[in-house]
Amino acid sequence: MLLDYDRLGWLRVALVGFTAAVAAFLLLPVVFIVLLSFGSSRWLAFPPPGWTLKWYQQLLADPTWIDAALTSARIAAMAAILAVVIGLFASFSLVRGEFRGRQVLRGLLLMPMVLPVVVFAIAIYAFFLRIGLAGTTVGFVIAHTILALPFAIIPITAALEGFDKSIEDAAIVCGASPLQARLRITLPSIRIGIFSAAIFSFLASWDEVVVAIFMASPTLQTLPVKIWGSLRADLSPVVAAASSLLVGLTLCLMIVTALLRRKMSR
Amino acid sequence: MQGSSFRRSSVAGLPAGSGSALPALLLVGLFFIVPVVALLLRSVTDPEPGLQNYAALFGSDTYVRVFLNTFLVATVVTAVTILVAFPVAWMLAIMPPAPGSIVFGIIILSMWTNLLTRTYAWMVLLQRTGVINRALMGLGIIHEPLPLINNLAGVTIGMVYIMLPFMILPLVGTLRAIDPMTLRAAALCGASPFEAFRRILLPLSLPGIAAGGLMVFVMSLGYFVTPALLGGTSNMMLAEMIAQTVQSLLNWGLGSAAAFVLLVVTMALYAIQLHLVGARRAGGGL
Repeated sequence: MLLDYDRLGWLRVALVGFTAAVAAFLLLPVVFIVLLSFGSSRWLAFPPPGWTLKWYQQLLADPTWIDAALTSARIAAMAAILAVVIGLFASFSLVRGEFRGRQVLRGLLLMPMVLPVVVFAIAIYAFFLRIGLAGTTVGFVIAHTILALPFAIIPITAALEGFDKSIEDAAIVCGASPLQARLRITLPSIRIGIFSAAIFSFLASWDEVVVAIFMASPTLQTLPVKIWGSLRADLSPVVAAASSLLVGLTLCLMIVTALLRRKMSR
Repeated sequence: MQGSSFRRSSVAGLPAGSGSALPALLLVGLFFIVPVVALLLRSVTDPEPGLQNYAALFGSDTYVRVFLNTFLVATVVTAVTILVAFPVAWMLAIMPPAPGSIVFGIIILSMWTNLLTRTYAWMVLLQRTGVINRALMGLGIIHEPLPLINNLAGVTIGMVYIMLPFMILPLVGTLRAIDPMTLRAAALCGASPFEAFRRILLPLSLPGIAAGGLMVFVMSLGYFVTPALLGGTSNMMLAEMIAQTVQSLLNWGLGSAAAFVLLVVTMALYAIQLHLVGARRAGGGL
């Protein structure tokens, strides 16, 4: 009866209790950091002696934080667009191509997700030092596109595998050109996959730390690099304010995703 | 998309349907394969041709200790993650949808929250004067603050926190695929719940546990951020050592050799994982 929720008996109490405890464990740091960002203690005492908005004021008054956030957004947007477009093309080949070595190709394109980031980070850093792209936006975008590509390919190939190709063929039989059929039949049908790909690739770049630490220059810093620097220096509550804004952004992204998925799958 | 149908290969000499993968292949080839291979070559050519970097790596107590510590941390993290994830995945697989979706929401929120944010929260929570120590002392469980950060305990807590979603989500799929009738049959045949768990539920979920566990182990081996922030200098892990060797010591030869070792171990384990779950499902939690 172990897989009947209603017939687990005493075991259910234990398992539900355990699951609730783990959920609390997963929620704890996220809630804690948001509460902390409103606390007035410079030394992060908790519970805080009073509540304040001064860390947010300091954060928003500091142009280096704003710059870092804008840089991150710019690089992540470019990397996400490139990864989704290139990943979309590659997915057609991976799902519909008829050639030997298709699985090898898939393994190769997904490899950047498997290889420890630190190995890729020093490799691309050395390479970019040699060809003069280290510390440039172009270098950042290329490196992040590589890392984001698997996150684009996985949802798009999954969506494409679930799409019945005969619908596309039917459109062609009815007089659409192959390109028209793809654009007007296939792409709309796999839009949930493309949308997930865009979100995952954006996050892959937006949250990326290791390559960014190597690639950053004093004039080009992403948000994670800025946070990393602050964490190594001290545990300033300004970081808590920045982190809380990131949590807020994650929540917005989750809500938008849930709403869009519901709307699209209708 | 290529304008024409895939069966007619539009790019001369290429196998049918492979043309549209060209941009991806070029990008990954030029900016992933070439730099990684160049780095590995550097481990046998920098500062001079030979295997001296590998000799230095395996001949030094310091570096051997880093290897051992890396495996120790990855093993502990994987074991704890499996033990914590299994009951949660089990519940999520059979729970009514409403409370279940709340737990799923929390898992996604934690997984999507910025990595540094989560690690920062643990740095503050676990410090000597942090909430956890204060709470434990307030409850009278301990009298002295426990050392929870800059050591194995800190790394384990921080890493398990990050790895849990990667273990729970695929395991839910494995457990949902098990037919509840098999367990009803076991109960009818007189098996005690423990017996049914040990002889049916556990063996049937073992492929999922193995695949997820291997993924967590591989990810832990090469992890950089969390060990660097929550671990101590005495138990440094491989990724941090590689970064430091290159960034602070500018010893590219040694750093590349260590990177090669990490790459070989990771790829070998990845091959095993592919074998376990099939190439199709590789990549886990997406």
